[in-house]
Amino acid sequence: MTSGHQGWYQRKRTRELALVACFLAPALSIFFLYRLLPLGWNVLLSFQSWSPLKAATWIGVDHYEEMLLDDDVFWDALANTLIFIGCSPIAIALALAIALLVNSDLRGAAIYRTIVFLSYPLMTVAVGIIWRWLYDERGGFFNYVLRSSGAIDQPVKFLQSFDWALPCVIAADFWQVLGFYMIILLTGLQSIPQHLYEAARVDGVPAGARFWRITLPLLRPSIFLCIVVGILNSFTSFDLVYVMTNGGPGHATELLITYIYKAGFGQSRFDYAAALTVVQFLLLVVLTVLANRLSGGNAGSLER
Amino acid sequence: MRRAPSWPRHAIMVVVSFLMLVPFYWVLKTSLTGENLNSVIVTTMAICGNLLFNTAAGYALTKQFPGRRWVVLLFLSCMLIPFQATIIPAYLITSWLGVLNSYLGIALPLLSTIICIFIFKASFEAVPRSLIDAARVDGLSEWRIIVRIMLPLSKSAIATNVILTFIWSWNAFLWPLIVIRTPDMQTLPLGLARFLSVMEDTTGALFAFVVMVLVPGLTIFLMAQKEFIRGLTTGATKG
Repeated sequence: MTSGHQGWYQRKRTRELALVACFLAPALSIFFLYRLLPLGWNVLLSFQSWSPLKAATWIGVDHYEEMLLDDDVFWDALANTLIFIGCSPIAIALALAIALLVNSDLRGAAIYRTIVFLSYPLMTVAVGIIWRWLYDERGGFFNYVLRSSGAIDQPVKFLQSFDWALPCVIAADFWQVLGFYMIILLTGLQSIPQHLYEAARVDGVPAGARFWRITLPLLRPSIFLCIVVGILNSFTSFDLVYVMTNGGPGHATELLITYIYKAGFGQSRFDYAAALTVVQFLLLVVLTVLANRLSGGNAGSLER
Repeated sequence: MRRAPSWPRHAIMVVVSFLMLVPFYWVLKTSLTGENLNSVIVTTMAICGNLLFNTAAGYALTKQFPGRRWVVLLFLSCMLIPFQATIIPAYLITSWLGVLNSYLGIALPLLSTIICIFIFKASFEAVPRSLIDAARVDGLSEWRIIVRIMLPLSKSAIATNVILTFIWSWNAFLWPLIVIRTPDMQTLPLGLARFLSVMEDTTGALFAFVVMVLVPGLTIFLMAQKEFIRGLTTGATKG
């Protein structure tokens, strides 16, 4: 009698485990196939000489040597990627200001929030085309404003200029990602307990000090998140750069991700592109760890 | 007095509905060609895959089983790997699977999203334990419990998942650019980029195309802002 009961329980447990395995299998295999396996293969490939028609041979760090010593485009792309990431704090600060305004007792704040966020879910390729048109030398918005205000006589070729192309692409990227930063910061702001502010007000703490002593420290996790998004953004901005300048003029707007695409799928140098990807991924890891340190460790978490 | 069977009335109404829908069908059929159709197919595949696989994985994670910690850790670490950092081997794997230049090839990496797995897990865990136990006492099978109790109580998680997947697969550019070789398989973003390169001169047609491409995403976003923002802020980074 007891053993029969145990057997029933055993069978039920086995059935449940089988169900769990079946339920997890599809998602796990997708992420194994398209996240873990590629990451490992990528590292392996970067130490090999390989092309679709040639067997792989082990060449050690040759690709890295070529990249670091002989490849000027790599250094351009790296510098541009770093500038891209380095500018994101400006957008985050701007987004913080907007988030504070939207979070105050402003009437119609929800409408402003929607408008600021509206550009984020748009198709980036379309955003690139729109901004290309805004920068256009003949019909573009910026040249129209500058010329009708008398600031310039000759139209500026923004996206064809070595000096202006990168800032212009970064500005377009800001426009799209600003709303996302704002939403992250708003969520952070709304999680700050109101009684802290009330207590500070009762104690006569001025508004400036309230911001520096209460708001900013308690926003640390959200700001850390924004910085990580800013770092990842240099990967995801491929679409924008591809449409707006395709890395040009010269390599003035080349990012690591666009260079990886060109090396891999333009010149079929998959092995070299893999080595570039490793560098890009290491950059991501190092910068994220650094950001984590700066925000006080543990992803800026407040509990310790 | 016996009521007349309902099927004749249904039959009449089906015919009437069919006639009423013909014009819509024809407009849709005409507009759903080329890039538009490709985008709709890929997005539909991605949404179906996400709903199926994410609910399944999310439900599995609410159970206790050996190695559960490791599975969670695996998901979390995969979340930290941006897809863009895997494109070269991902392309080689896709080519090895033999699905380059196909709908499945584009949709495959989009079929599951880790953030949404965790959203489903949280939503399932919020279902009162007593409700499930009561259902079990009533003799409902595991499947029935999922379909009749868990899913109806997780409408918000489902909405979040559908919206996020729609926006991400509808807007996806880099991956289709790599996988698709022939113009007849291009999705909307690829078609848009090609259109731009063919007509260097910016014309009204290009911007009509841009507007047409932006409208679905914008509409969906405006209709379901709350779910969209919730999904983004839970996971914060693209999965």
